[in-house]
Amino acid sequence: MAGRQTNRLRGHGLVDQGTTVSFRFDGKQLTGHPGDTLASALLANGIRLVGRSFKYHRPRGILTAGSEEPNALVELRNGARREPNTRATTTELYDGLEAASQNRWPSLKVDLLSLNQLAAPLLGAGFYYKTFMWPAAFWEKLYEPMIRRAAGLGSPSRLSDPDSYDKTNAFCDVLVIGAGPAGLSAALAAAKAGARVILCDEDFAPGGRLLSERGNVDGESGPAWAQAVAAKIEARPDCRILRRTTVFGAYDGGVYAAVERVSDHLPVPPEHAPRQRLWRIVAKQAIVCAGAFERPIVFGDNDRPGVMLAGAVRAYVNRFGVAPGQNAVIFADNDAALRTATDLADAGLTVQAIVDPRPQGSAAAEQVAAGTGALYLRGVIEKVRGAHGVRAVGVRDSQGGTRTIECDLLAMSGGWNPVLNLTTHLGGKPKWDDARACLVPGDLPAGMRVAGAAAGEVSTEACLASGEAAGAGAAKDCGLSPSAPGRPAPDRESAPVTPVWQVETGRGKAFVDFQNDVAVSDVKLAAREGFRVPDHVKRYTTLGMATDQGKTSNLNGAAILAEATGRYLGAVGSTTFRPPYTPVSIGALAGHHRGTDFRPTRLTPSHRWAEEQGAVFVEVGMWMRALMFPRPGESAQETVNREVANTRAHVGVCDVSTLGKIDVQGTDAAAFLDKVYINGFSKLAVGKARYGLMLREDGFAMDDGTTARLAEDHFYMTTTTANAARVSQHLEFCQQVLWPELDVQTVSATEQWAQYAVAGPNARAVIAALLDSGQDISNDAFPYMACGTFTVCGGVPARLFRLSFSGELAYEIGVPARYGDGLIRAILEAGAEQGIAPYGTEALGVMRIEKGHAAGPELNGQTTAHDLGLGRMMSKKKDFVGRVMGEREALNESARAALVGLKPLDPKVRVGAGAHLVSKGAEAVAANDQGYVTSQAYSPELKSFIALAMLFDGPARHGEVLKVCDPLRGNETLAEVCSPHFVDPDGERLRV
Amino acid sequence: MSSLKSISALHGVVSPGRYGKRDGEPGVTATERKDLGLATIEVRKGQDAALKAAVLAAYGTALPSGPGWASGKGVRFIGIGPGQWFAVSETLANEALADDLSERLKGLASVADHSSGRAVLRLEGPDVRAVLAKGLAVDLDPRVFGDGVAATSTIGHMGALLWRDGEAYDIALFRSVGGSFWGWLRSAAAEFGLEFVTTS
Repeated sequence: MAGRQTNRLRGHGLVDQGTTVSFRFDGKQLTGHPGDTLASALLANGIRLVGRSFKYHRPRGILTAGSEEPNALVELRNGARREPNTRATTTELYDGLEAASQNRWPSLKVDLLSLNQLAAPLLGAGFYYKTFMWPAAFWEKLYEPMIRRAAGLGSPSRLSDPDSYDKTNAFCDVLVIGAGPAGLSAALAAAKAGARVILCDEDFAPGGRLLSERGNVDGESGPAWAQAVAAKIEARPDCRILRRTTVFGAYDGGVYAAVERVSDHLPVPPEHAPRQRLWRIVAKQAIVCAGAFERPIVFGDNDRPGVMLAGAVRAYVNRFGVAPGQNAVIFADNDAALRTATDLADAGLTVQAIVDPRPQGSAAAEQVAAGTGALYLRGVIEKVRGAHGVRAVGVRDSQGGTRTIECDLLAMSGGWNPVLNLTTHLGGKPKWDDARACLVPGDLPAGMRVAGAAAGEVSTEACLASGEAAGAGAAKDCGLSPSAPGRPAPDRESAPVTPVWQVETGRGKAFVDFQNDVAVSDVKLAAREGFRVPDHVKRYTTLGMATDQGKTSNLNGAAILAEATGRYLGAVGSTTFRPPYTPVSIGALAGHHRGTDFRPTRLTPSHRWAEEQGAVFVEVGMWMRALMFPRPGESAQETVNREVANTRAHVGVCDVSTLGKIDVQGTDAAAFLDKVYINGFSKLAVGKARYGLMLREDGFAMDDGTTARLAEDHFYMTTTTANAARVSQHLEFCQQVLWPELDVQTVSATEQWAQYAVAGPNARAVIAALLDSGQDISNDAFPYMACGTFTVCGGVPARLFRLSFSGELAYEIGVPARYGDGLIRAILEAGAEQGIAPYGTEALGVMRIEKGHAAGPELNGQTTAHDLGLGRMMSKKKDFVGRVMGEREALNESARAALVGLKPLDPKVRVGAGAHLVSKGAEAVAANDQGYVTSQAYSPELKSFIALAMLFDGPARHGEVLKVCDPLRGNETLAEVCSPHFVDPDGERLRV
Repeated sequence: MSSLKSISALHGVVSPGRYGKRDGEPGVTATERKDLGLATIEVRKGQDAALKAAVLAAYGTALPSGPGWASGKGVRFIGIGPGQWFAVSETLANEALADDLSERLKGLASVADHSSGRAVLRLEGPDVRAVLAKGLAVDLDPRVFGDGVAATSTIGHMGALLWRDGEAYDIALFRSVGGSFWGWLRSAAAEFGLEFVTTS
């Protein structure tokens, strides 16, 4: 049976009281109305106790009616959709909503960990730095897990999020942040001038404070005016209002980030709709109309459920039609809060007293008290009774007398703080405004304005006028011609504010930061211990470090720090606000890019063919490459052995389409290559290819590959798969910055060509079978390192290169990618009689290790041409990138680690890649290090495991036996140093 | 006649049909533009004026100087950088365009064939800009990005060249990311409804 809404004010507010929706809180079935938040619906049902606090597990209720809420945090939804730490004050109620209180056990009312309160003297600021110091080993294993279990808030679902998240870009002339009176006024003024306007508001209805106050605007009720203006803005084709959208960050170049809660107000997102959408908004001009947050006053037990901000009380009464209590006491240092008394009384609720802490009192307050039948007391709240909800307050009057007033609601107000977070994200510092007793925006980033309460304006008239002026000004700065503002700028209020930050009392913890349980005593302790800067106090006490970023506590904390250190508050400064303004789910930041969509995947033209062959794939950068082609019943090692053996005995084919291919053209193309490679290319004949190594400026190897000369002014460069983009960038840099005088043009051709390596003694027969008639690739006509243009399979243009990575007679054949799938099938068909079988990158790797070719593990950014055994390739006749730095002495010492081969004494023992080498008798410690293993494989030809390694003075040590130490895998073995060229060292097979 | 089958970038990656929201007209219609001639043209050092004159003589159009396109004799020239253009042709199909350009612009520009290296999609429909905005950080407002405008950018982390042709947007991507792009498009357009149409 659903509970009755005992505290609903019938006929009051903007919620649709004609429609009832049901929801559950801690399993209890309750009802509310469309237009409610979870917080207003809980209050309507008479529920004041909503959660337990972070550290002391104190009972907590609802403090605010907005996104600054520190207390009313709940776990929303169930199962995979469970979301912890959701603010009940901004959670829009929907039928079927399920929420649970957090950080309590076994139940909200009986929370055993609230015993933490008894230990409060031990749990002050920095307690864990002091208390859990010894023994050090206990920290990780005992103290930290213990603290983490006791503290904290809700727990996330550990299931995969079933919803989708969206990201989008938007561009506008004027971005208006906040749709209160200032924002609506600004957006309308800019829209009327013809600007492209985006107006964002975190609430589900535009109007801001107008929804919560009773005053009229332009002769209409606030909400009606807001709705009418919103309709006018939305009627313009270039203007849009994003509801439920929080602008959470300001970035360079007029870029703003916002998150739209598209489906958060629904049980599950509608089909094809995301749960949330991240907006990247590029705005020529932005107007921050984010309003203001009311400040709590700091006094003993000010965190009891039923202690609420005065403005929030008005929101619940006027907007939601809910009585947050029946018997109220008002405690405020400003006259604006007096409206709370009037609104409560007009709603038929009792106002017991208005407690005024200002020494001078207030005639207006006295008048309101008289009008609402309340006591007017000059004094302070000294204590609050009622752990699970206010039952009474103790008042000490200015004469020192005390009295107890029974009440169930304490509405407090310490004044208002402009919401200036976005003005500081790019480094702007807020400035202290003495007259208004608050921080106001300081220097603003280019293209940003602030209007309304965010700029420190208090009255609705001032908000409307400053919004209109800002909207017109922003439109003008976009080159438009707005009409002159129609609203007169109202006079500034003359009376200065007398802020009351805290009440000095003996008893009861007086909270500054509710969410992180930071009390006055913690701030004072920090001050005593020498902390003077708010950012340091923040880190020491955790004040302002909770998910609310101290929205209700930062300034109070600074004021208490100022007092404790005897300084002027305006000189103390403030903490730094950073994005995001309110918590943003990781899902929204990821958008579509999750799971396998984390980044794009690149597939080669014959990927589907490889899939059909049962290939196992491996990610190489963004590419998917066939690792191997296992046959039924084979182990991975057997597959690789077979692929290698078949290639060396007959013929194999491997997809090398992923290798970077760069088209280099221009009259100076050869001169250009001379400068980027260590070896020369200008003497390379047309129709020939050459291996080249390029260095970084610092003399270390960057990448290698073969480059073929297709014409006098046309080369075709290949790079490793992993470095393709980097080499392209490097060449682009060389062209544009280093040698702009050269006539050379480069463009990536990787995608254009499907390319296959056909390797093995029978390779020529396979290629010859593909060639159209009349083309000769005999060893004489097309020798090792030849290249040329041919046609295959009936006129398909092909590029043929007689290159070999495997060490066998081999060709690389390239065709336009659209023919790639067809060509691989044709190769297999043509090679069937020759015993062809495809091989993957694993077999490719084995064969290159057998041949001692350097690859990624050797080109590791720490090796030079000398180290790789390629020192003799370095031309002495020309300059090239990396030559000068490569001549540094330390890079040319013979003792440097250089490439060697390793053969384990026991051929059946694998030598682990990454293992380190020490002398045979030496201990396996870093001081004895002689080098490291870079690559390893089982060589089917040698019937032994083999490895490549970088060894100090390596080339001079062939024949030496070393100890290979692999502490990571926990083994040691002995291996003999040898030449890295294990198979066909003289390269005879290449030239047959 | 070649015995090798020519396979377009999205062949087998996307099946024709309706995706995402099923009711009503699709918000976006996607078509793969197959067998286009595609080539890059980069001016040789000091040949700017001669190249412009040669293109005008051969193709009857002035090369655009910014991120936009101009076309003549069935070839569209899209500005992709200083002294760089991406040429697109339906009439000079596949490798024929690069062959034609190489011959006519010999010594004036370096021409490279990309006819096989790109997937080209045409997107159109009432929600096309809203869909593209999800991956493309370029203002597509018609007053900013009018007919004939082009942009070299990324869509969903994939490099893309986009040009507007009337109310349609053509997008050229690396052939290898065709599947990933389709995955992105399908997800971005789901709320509007997406129709994939194949041409013969």
